[in-house]
Amino acid sequence: MKILALETTGKYGSAAVIDDEGRIFCASSGEEMNHLRGMILLIDEALVKAGAGKDELTHIAASAGPGSFTGIRIGVTTARTMAQMLDLPCIAVSSVEALAEGSRRKASDEGAEYIVPVINARRHQTYAAAYAADQGVKALTPALAEKQYMIEDLLEELKKMISGREGASAFFTGDGIDAYGEIIEDMMPEGSYLFADESVRYQSAEAVAAIALRKAAEGATVAYDELLPEYMRLAEAEQRLKAGTLSDRIRTAKV
Amino acid sequence: MKDGKFLTLGIETSCDETAASVVADGRFVMSNVISSQIDIHTQYGGVVPEIASRKHLERINDVIAEALSGAGVKAPELDLIGVTYGPGLVGALLIGVAAAKAMAYACDIPLIGVNHMHGHIAANYLEHHDLEPPFMALIVSGGHTEIVNVPGYNKCEKLGGTRDDAAGEAFDKVARVIGLGYPGGPKIDRAARDGDPDAIAFKRVYLEPGSLDFSFSGLKTQALNYLNTEKQAGREINVNDVAASFQEAVTEVIADKAVDAAVRYSQKRIVMAGGVASNSRLRYLMEKKAGERGIDVLKPSPVLCTDNGAMIASAAYYEYGSGRRTELDLDAVPGLEF
Repeated sequence: MKILALETTGKYGSAAVIDDEGRIFCASSGEEMNHLRGMILLIDEALVKAGAGKDELTHIAASAGPGSFTGIRIGVTTARTMAQMLDLPCIAVSSVEALAEGSRRKASDEGAEYIVPVINARRHQTYAAAYAADQGVKALTPALAEKQYMIEDLLEELKKMISGREGASAFFTGDGIDAYGEIIEDMMPEGSYLFADESVRYQSAEAVAAIALRKAAEGATVAYDELLPEYMRLAEAEQRLKAGTLSDRIRTAKV
Repeated sequence: MKDGKFLTLGIETSCDETAASVVADGRFVMSNVISSQIDIHTQYGGVVPEIASRKHLERINDVIAEALSGAGVKAPELDLIGVTYGPGLVGALLIGVAAAKAMAYACDIPLIGVNHMHGHIAANYLEHHDLEPPFMALIVSGGHTEIVNVPGYNKCEKLGGTRDDAAGEAFDKVARVIGLGYPGGPKIDRAARDGDPDAIAFKRVYLEPGSLDFSFSGLKTQALNYLNTEKQAGREINVNDVAASFQEAVTEVIADKAVDAAVRYSQKRIVMAGGVASNSRLRYLMEKKAGERGIDVLKPSPVLCTDNGAMIASAAYYEYGSGRRTELDLDAVPGLEF
């Protein structure tokens, strides 16, 4: 088994190849939001590092979101099309879960009880979840469902979960720290939380590959045309159409 | 290569059409699949970029598969992949570019990034198999109104363009004002057939003498003013007359300037391209006015006027023939110039 995994939902794009034994060969971009230009080159670099040819691949996995809408589309389109051409099955991985996977060891080493991946969705909104922090190699155990939260609501939930306990219990990761770090510091009791270092704070294809390997073993694959983005949000115009507040500004968008 | 033919796949996603096509030897359309999103965008009164991007992603792979099977071709038999990389909506463009690059990489096929406007001109090579440059080109669409001198394949010298709204934009705006709705081009064309083009005196905007530029933004204001005046006077509005008069003002100026450009550059042919090239009145006036000066007018059939993959494949074929190559770090360029 050799899985190619793509990650384009955050600031930095990356591609990784993982084999049966869990060895991961990863190539990452140092440039922000360079997904469209860089993705094929990163894929090629990861394959070269793995010493593998395209014809040896068995699955294509993509971080399907949530995150940057544009980033999600670049990764998912690339994965779908490669899978279509190479006649391979696809694996969809949640970007939120992958963020948690990336900090799993670290959170557990620090003695945290929960890993809390938080993706900035602007205007106090987040895509987030909480998982039990463990050293395990099996799937992460959810403690708070993955969905859209206002940052304040997420923190209230977490406070309930850790109330009355000693020590740093919540290990935050993701670019939500960059956006809402001060709110977290204000709302969470002192000493009850930790922030991931910048070196492990952002989405990486390594974690996507690790989750994809588990999913492949379980047979949790889809056909290329069933690999779809997980935006977690309607387009703004769709929201307005539903709410009956579609503005003239959108109606007069250039065509 | 298949049966001695050079096969190019063209991919186009710059606006609201997801399209792919296989073209043989740059001239012969073997398949031409166009999945239009128009029904979805109609309820918003225009193209919503975020929704267009989402739909392109959902459709692109099936459209490519249909284009291949329709041509009876397997991906590894392709010699070249051409893809629109600009101008257009960035979120829409990047779906085509990402898919084309993944395909080129997976199947080891050369890639050419194509300028969408070069594609519109190349649509004529698919319709008129003997056509070769040089010629004058008139590109009229929802986003463009341009007069372009074409000395060679994919060589474009822009002589004039719109200073505000594109012709298609003016059609959409006026159609909205008179209650015909979106898309304005075909609806005004249809309504105008039952109207009097001389009923209302819309201004012909020629700008300064000798200019090959256009300005259409004032027409919407004129239409609004006319409607208000009529309303206040308690007169009933004849939508067909407004459509016909407005259309006449736009198409007459376009035809005059295109013919003027061809005369000045001693071109014996004018090639039309873009969605508005389907407008029946523009086609009629172009043939009439050019014919009076001994100039031929060529135009693609309506299916090749709309955004499509075949025109991109043809433009890519001639780019490739000229020795140009595109690397796999191709980016989308929404504001790409000629």
